Amino acid sequence: MDADVRQMTWTELAAVCTNLEKACTKQLRGEEAATFAKLAAFYEARQEMKSDATMQNLVALIDADLSSGYRAANDVAETDADRGSKRALLWGEKATKLLKSLLVRYEKQGAKLTENTGVFVCEICGFVYVGDTPPEICPICKVPSFKIHPVRKEAI
Amino acid sequence: MHAARNLRLCSKDCVCLFICPTGATNTENGQIDFEKCLDGCRLCVDACPSGAIYLVSSTYPKPQSKSDAMTESIFALAASKAEQEDLARTIGAQSDDPSLRQICKVVEMSSRIIAEDLWRESGYIIAQSDAATRLLEAMLAEHGLMEGFPAEAVKALINARR
Repeated sequence: MDADVRQMTWTELAAVCTNLEKACTKQLRGEEAATFAKLAAFYEARQEMKSDATMQNLVALIDADLSSGYRAANDVAETDADRGSKRALLWGEKATKLLKSLLVRYEKQGAKLTENTGVFVCEICGFVYVGDTPPEICPICKVPSFKIHPVRKEAI
Repeated sequence: MHAARNLRLCSKDCVCLFICPTGATNTENGQIDFEKCLDGCRLCVDACPSGAIYLVSSTYPKPQSKSDAMTESIFALAASKAEQEDLARTIGAQSDDPSLRQICKVVEMSSRIIAEDLWRESGYIIAQSDAATRLLEAMLAEHGLMEGFPAEAVKALINARR
């Protein structure tokens, strides 16, 4: 079953392109990677601001993934004995739980949460870490820490 | 199939330089010269004491097929992740608080990475898949005339596949 380009948002289109860009890079096909990078940039340039952008709405979407989206997909993966999908769902669900926890903690503590500490994201699975030094091996996908990158506060 | 060097693993023992019959492994940028590399030779791959050289395929098999129900539920999650990325980007852009912007950036990045992995599991794991070619054709048909669309590069890629 194909994804329907006409039904996809600019951000969905960008994400499928950045994924294929990464695949081409791993195959050392620079020219093809560049084409997908250009496509992703084309779609990202069209991204619009959302009118319903509140923390509450963001947390509600994450909650919906955790309570129903991942469960439904996991059931299908179980029925199909599809271990590849199970793998992606397991990693994604764990990273999603960490995003939820990050937002809940930020809501409580505000700027104090990251006042004297770093925040890191794993480029492979989306694992999020708040602390000074990320773990040597990503606890979700087990990639070495050179693929876990700091996200810095930027002055406006 | 040509050899490639993982520079993070390479311990510079130079055994690949000793064994390569064409000098392809000896270059100023550290990567193997793919033009000089002999198709499937793999002498350097087997000789490397640090396991830093591997073979890159020129052809790839079709990705594993998925049931429609599986693909559909993965697409739904990918769509949800895209919406979360959009919300986080908007909240960050509308705030001048550096700590909130940092948190939003993290959510944006992580949501994108999770989404990419979901796409990977639904037919778009490699650009050589039939689904990826049909995707490019659909993008060209839908958006090809919009300003900034890289039409020539996309057409070239489709033509190379067909």
